[in-house]
Amino acid sequence: MADSPNPPAIPAPHLPLCQLPAGTRGRVLALAGDAPFCQRVREMGFGEDAVITKLSGRGTTLCQVGETRLALSHEAARRIQVQVLAPPAPSAPSPGLS
Amino acid sequence: MPTYAIVGNPNCGKSTLFNALTGLRQKIGNYPGVTVEKKVGTSWSQHGQPITLIDLPGSYSLAARSPDEAVTRDVLLGRRADTPAPERVLCIVDAANLERNLYLVHQMLDLGRPVILVLNMMDVAREAGLRIDVSRLEHELGIPVIPCEAVNGKGLVELRLAMSRASLPLPRRAWDIPAEIAPAVAELQAALMEDEGKPPLLARAEALLLLTENAAGGGASEAGAGANRADGGSGRPSRPSRRAEILAQWHQRWLAAGTDWAAVLVASRYDAISRLCAQVVEQRGGGADGAGGAGGAGGGQPSRSDRIDAVVTHPLWGWLILGGLMTLIFFSIFTFAEYPMDWIDGGVARFSDWVQARLPEGDLRDLITDGAIAGVGGVVVFLPQILILFFFIGLLESTGYMARAAFIMDRLMSRVGLNGKSFIPLLSSYACAIPGIMAARTIENHKDRLVTILVAPLMSCSARLPVYLLMIAALLPGEAVSVAGKVGLMLLMYALGTGGAFGFAWLFKKTLLKGEPPLMIMELPPYRLPALKDVARQMLDRAGLFLKRAGTIILAISIVLWFLASYPRAPEGVEESGQLAQSFAGQAGHLIEPVIEPLGFDWQIGIGLITSFAAREVFVSTMGVVFNVDDPEENTTPLREALAAATWPDGRPLFTPLVCLSLMIFYVFAMQCVATVAVVRRETNSWRWPLFQIAYMTGTAWLVCFAVYQVGRALGF
Repeated sequence: MADSPNPPAIPAPHLPLCQLPAGTRGRVLALAGDAPFCQRVREMGFGEDAVITKLSGRGTTLCQVGETRLALSHEAARRIQVQVLAPPAPSAPSPGLS
Repeated sequence: MPTYAIVGNPNCGKSTLFNALTGLRQKIGNYPGVTVEKKVGTSWSQHGQPITLIDLPGSYSLAARSPDEAVTRDVLLGRRADTPAPERVLCIVDAANLERNLYLVHQMLDLGRPVILVLNMMDVAREAGLRIDVSRLEHELGIPVIPCEAVNGKGLVELRLAMSRASLPLPRRAWDIPAEIAPAVAELQAALMEDEGKPPLLARAEALLLLTENAAGGGASEAGAGANRADGGSGRPSRPSRRAEILAQWHQRWLAAGTDWAAVLVASRYDAISRLCAQVVEQRGGGADGAGGAGGAGGGQPSRSDRIDAVVTHPLWGWLILGGLMTLIFFSIFTFAEYPMDWIDGGVARFSDWVQARLPEGDLRDLITDGAIAGVGGVVVFLPQILILFFFIGLLESTGYMARAAFIMDRLMSRVGLNGKSFIPLLSSYACAIPGIMAARTIENHKDRLVTILVAPLMSCSARLPVYLLMIAALLPGEAVSVAGKVGLMLLMYALGTGGAFGFAWLFKKTLLKGEPPLMIMELPPYRLPALKDVARQMLDRAGLFLKRAGTIILAISIVLWFLASYPRAPEGVEESGQLAQSFAGQAGHLIEPVIEPLGFDWQIGIGLITSFAAREVFVSTMGVVFNVDDPEENTTPLREALAAATWPDGRPLFTPLVCLSLMIFYVFAMQCVATVAVVRRETNSWRWPLFQIAYMTGTAWLVCFAVYQVGRALGF
């Protein structure tokens, strides 16, 4: 995790949520998958720009969005592209969203 | 007084609040999808006038994805013939998760009806360091906002006061429809007002919904068809032509322009919500992770739920814990139930003797002792086990473990073509297949829901418990066998049923109901300490249900069976033990004996197989009646001993260990429950599926028992 504490300045790598290492945070970049799925993901508040913390995930992904804990099947997690964020630093909170 | 609909996201405390306001006892639990059907109750205003409350299934959005969400949508939009559209809406939100919860509230504000917003779980929000400016929220939305802790009964007085108000303000307009979509909404709204005479605001809300539903595709309408059976499918207005035309036209225009209108709609609502949250929510202490105003965990210290989840959802520990829990449950069933069982056994025997001593010899006495008492008593003995089972199920439901079990199972479920969401209905089916089949309404995909319904009755339900226990007692008699042996055998039966359910799910997904499972997103609730009051209440409810069945269905069947077993009377001179053989019941048993003999069953067991089609535990009561009627001595022996003494005509013992095993396996697979058949008929809206279910389950039962018995015989058992 050699990410800069200044996310907007340096383009971070992006990958599907299923490949995000456990314990890492990511920002949702794009949703693939069928329309009902995308619709529901957005309605549940983790559409584009939401920040996700992945808690664990071998097969099924467990992640945290705000106060919500979500389980996503492997196929679902594969369809969510995230940008890897630096681990949270208490002194430098990440920028507010949307 | 007006009617209120209770609306909110899954697991935010709607049913808890409904129970607190109405004094009813809707089932509650700490997992999403406990309530899958509307429930109506009455509360009282501060002046003592009745207020009708409708508790609705939890929903993330009006754009329904699954049949339970469709119930909520249809009631709110007045699409259900059996429920008039509620005049007011009581929106419950989880205060600790305000931003996400406000999305549905936002849709409610659009409906053009007065809304009361209830901020539930204020204690949890406070613990998470959130401060919500209630008066500011009230001002911004223009509706009453009531902070509340439904579990502790806090805020209920204020809520009742707000609900009692004769008039409530309509909400302020909460957001502006994005410019790209506004013309389409206006056109649809006008069409709905003109063609269907809908009031302007409701027409606008419907127009917005139609646009999103169109994006959400067939899933919602398909789901709607499943839950709409109450109004015979006629709930949807039959004038789709013009709205369909307008929709198709805009659809094309947006497609050409590359606008993702559904995404634009959701994003614009969330923009408005974010702005609102920034004004009313203050996060104290560290841990803000930037996910809007209500962001909490993610950074900072791991919470209690985090620490528990690290173990419970672990790929290895998770499985060990699940297995350990099951073992613990069955171990408790065998060890703790022994004493109360002996008391009940003794009580039943004494009561029977008492009746026998008091009544003159004759049909009436026999009817009461051999029919009613032997039948009902034989089943009531298993009450302690049922209570223990429901105690544990209640604990699992109340702590939040259910959703974790679904999480652990997701990988395995995906191997058979389903996803983890299907596991919650299957898990509920361990208690009883009926709530399990109802819970399948939370599954979005029609085919997956059907597969889940088809295999749910293979999960060993609590009605099988008496049969298993009786057979295990006959199979492993006395003190010689350790509890571990009995627990092992019991676990084997449960594993067999569960394995069967998975196997058939795989088979059905490969053949009859092909298709990819939908992408699973499931919310896991935070862990809570078990609410012992709720657990106790559920145990009492289930015990009441069990005793009610014993006092009604089983009593009735026992009495009828006694007649069928006692008439026509054997001619004088025939030994009393020949009475049963030539009675109506005996004749029926003899009729099916050729079919079941290869499984090791005789005609007496056959009688039990026939009667227990009504409900599985009737097998136990039937054995009680059958072996008592035929008992030449007029005393009541415990059923276990009567079974041990039963023989084939040539003197071979009937209930050999192999036969007991074969019988248990028969009950693992066979579809022996009229109530389940009726529910499957209702939920699938056809006779085709319940009939198919009977055929495949009972067919499998026969084949497996045949194989086990014949192989066992060949091996010399």
